[in-house]
Amino acid sequence: MSSEPLLRVENLKTQFFTESGTVRAVDGISFDVHEGEIVGLVGESGAGKSVASMSLLRLVDDPGEIVGGEISYRGETIFGLEEGPDGELREREEMLSESEMRERIRGREIAVIFQDPMETLNPVFTVGGQLREFIELNRDLPSDEAKAQAIDMLREVGIPDPKERYEEYPHQFSGGMRQRVLIAMALACEPNLIIADEPTTALDVTVEGQILDLVDDLQDRYDTSFIWVTHDMGVVAEICDRVNVMYLGEIVEQAPVDELFYETNHPYTNALLDSMPRPDRTVEELDPIEGVMPEAINPPSGCRFHPRCPDAREVCTRVHPEPLEVDRADGYPHRAACVKHDVFDVGYDESVPLEAGDEAETGVGETGTEANVDSDSPLEEDQASTDGGESER
Amino acid sequence: MGLLKYTIYRLLQAIPVLIGISIITFVLANLAPGDPVRLMLQGQQVDEELVRAIEQRYGLDQPLHVRYWNYMTGLVQGDLGYSIHRDRPVSDLMVERAGPTLLLVVSAYVFAIVTAIPLGIIAAKRRNKPTDHVSRIVALVGVSTPSFWIGIMLIIIFAVQLGWLPSAGLVYPWQPPEAAGYDNHLQLWAATIEHLLLPMIALGTLQMATLMRVERTQMIDSLQQEYVKLARAYGVPERTILRKHAFRSAQLPIITIIGLNLSTALGGAVLIETVFAINGMGRLFIEAIQQLDYQLIMGITMVLGAIFVIGVVITDISYAYIDPRVTYGERE
Repeated sequence: MSSEPLLRVENLKTQFFTESGTVRAVDGISFDVHEGEIVGLVGESGAGKSVASMSLLRLVDDPGEIVGGEISYRGETIFGLEEGPDGELREREEMLSESEMRERIRGREIAVIFQDPMETLNPVFTVGGQLREFIELNRDLPSDEAKAQAIDMLREVGIPDPKERYEEYPHQFSGGMRQRVLIAMALACEPNLIIADEPTTALDVTVEGQILDLVDDLQDRYDTSFIWVTHDMGVVAEICDRVNVMYLGEIVEQAPVDELFYETNHPYTNALLDSMPRPDRTVEELDPIEGVMPEAINPPSGCRFHPRCPDAREVCTRVHPEPLEVDRADGYPHRAACVKHDVFDVGYDESVPLEAGDEAETGVGETGTEANVDSDSPLEEDQASTDGGESER
Repeated sequence: MGLLKYTIYRLLQAIPVLIGISIITFVLANLAPGDPVRLMLQGQQVDEELVRAIEQRYGLDQPLHVRYWNYMTGLVQGDLGYSIHRDRPVSDLMVERAGPTLLLVVSAYVFAIVTAIPLGIIAAKRRNKPTDHVSRIVALVGVSTPSFWIGIMLIIIFAVQLGWLPSAGLVYPWQPPEAAGYDNHLQLWAATIEHLLLPMIALGTLQMATLMRVERTQMIDSLQQEYVKLARAYGVPERTILRKHAFRSAQLPIITIIGLNLSTALGGAVLIETVFAINGMGRLFIEAIQQLDYQLIMGITMVLGAIFVIGVVITDISYAYIDPRVTYGERE
């Protein structure tokens, strides 16, 4: 546990400089990944999960840019800034150059599996050819050996007749099979870390189950670490060891997976769990999170979740909490960025609870229309927590 | 099998198109004011007897539909007709004149493709940077300037003012060097290139401008695809991405444009041959129209029509080689 992590991310900030302003897509997140772990990165669409994961490879699309923080991988600096003699921030000397990133990190050390298997394979090259190219490039194998490896890997991820399928084009594969190809690609390069960016979102549920089983199985065998980006708490429960919950560019809660599910410490995580369909609850009983996540271009003051938070009090509009350790489990800290915890000591208990009307005032347009609906929702919530809802956790 | 079947099917489809072309051209050529026989005897004392005799000899005294039928039965048997004005079979004239035109059109395309694709890629790579703006201006000028005007300007600058290149005629690379007055083939070919350069640029500029813009758009689109992101994430060098990953899928529309623009290129060749005094089919065509040499007009139109139709079919077929998703006739 206490060994040096494989990947350490500290206070990472990635921003997009658009015409309408600076979008702070990732705003100071810190987490680490140890060897052999599957670490979840969870949140709604637009929380900054994908941008965060692409930042780790320094592959943020224009007009995005990593503007601060530090990323280190096995003692190598993927990103790091320091203050130059003129007082301006500049890239640190030991930071890997673009060509070092390309030659030593991307594919070789850190591989990715993208979200949409339909779009991710190049339609005009054979599946095998694409696989072989990446193996050749990242393992320095000659073409024929890379081909043999590619076929082995296709078999490994459960593609029948891998020899024949090697010669086929992506359009001849189903979505699930393409995702298997992408997993084969990632594993075949023998990286130490795989970033899986919502790899099952585009698949139907039965295929999703198969893919999760496959990853679980392969992960056991290859002992590869994963960063698993998803919005699906069900997937998190199934596959992750530790979880980071992201909201609007920040990590709001960070804990080992069981701890997160049973000892939830942030209202947003709670809301995510409540909005998850479960067999023991009907649709009427589902508790979707109110409103829409605000734009990262102009985040709310104080705690960014307060306009949608059922526990929000006046102090939440003023104090912006960093994730602090509120508990410990399995030797890992359980961090939460919510001022209702005692460690924050900003007077949450004395503060006035925010009414539904106040929330509308904070300028999140979409919540306004739902104000009528949410006026009676607190009641329901109380009920839910007394019947069954609470015993679940 | 699928591909061969498809090819045959498409070629059969071309037949009604060619019949349509033949009817329209035949009617237009024959309804044009003026009398071919009198034009042929230009200025001479017109002897009504002689005119009638000539008309009878070439079947010009018969009604239009009979003449069309006669022409078509000949055409089906491979007889392109007989030029009354030149007193030679149309096919002989075509063979003589096709070479220079093909040389001109093909070299214009080579010029266009060789310049447009790299320039389009560079413009895509440096999108909205100065290079891109320059290429946009060049393309705009290229598409909006008539080719004959470009030809005349090139002649004024490079032939008249600078005297670097010849302004007229063409040296055919397939003729024996001695006949053209050169010592060996190298000299002959050098002379060919020298003569070809200006008409090639004049004819190719429009194609180049069009292709460059299409290439740019396609590459920009291609470079934003997920599979390009994937290649980057796996450490593929940027130049390989440009040359391979993004490039190939971007080329389909280019091929379409090349195929469809064959008609503009052939049309342009008519003008360029006139400007540069090249004895190709285009020039022959203009002379035929002026002389109302209707069988020659028909012959040239049919051949150009066939070239165009075949060009489109080749375009279609080449898709299958570039894009594996395109299959012909077969379902999986």
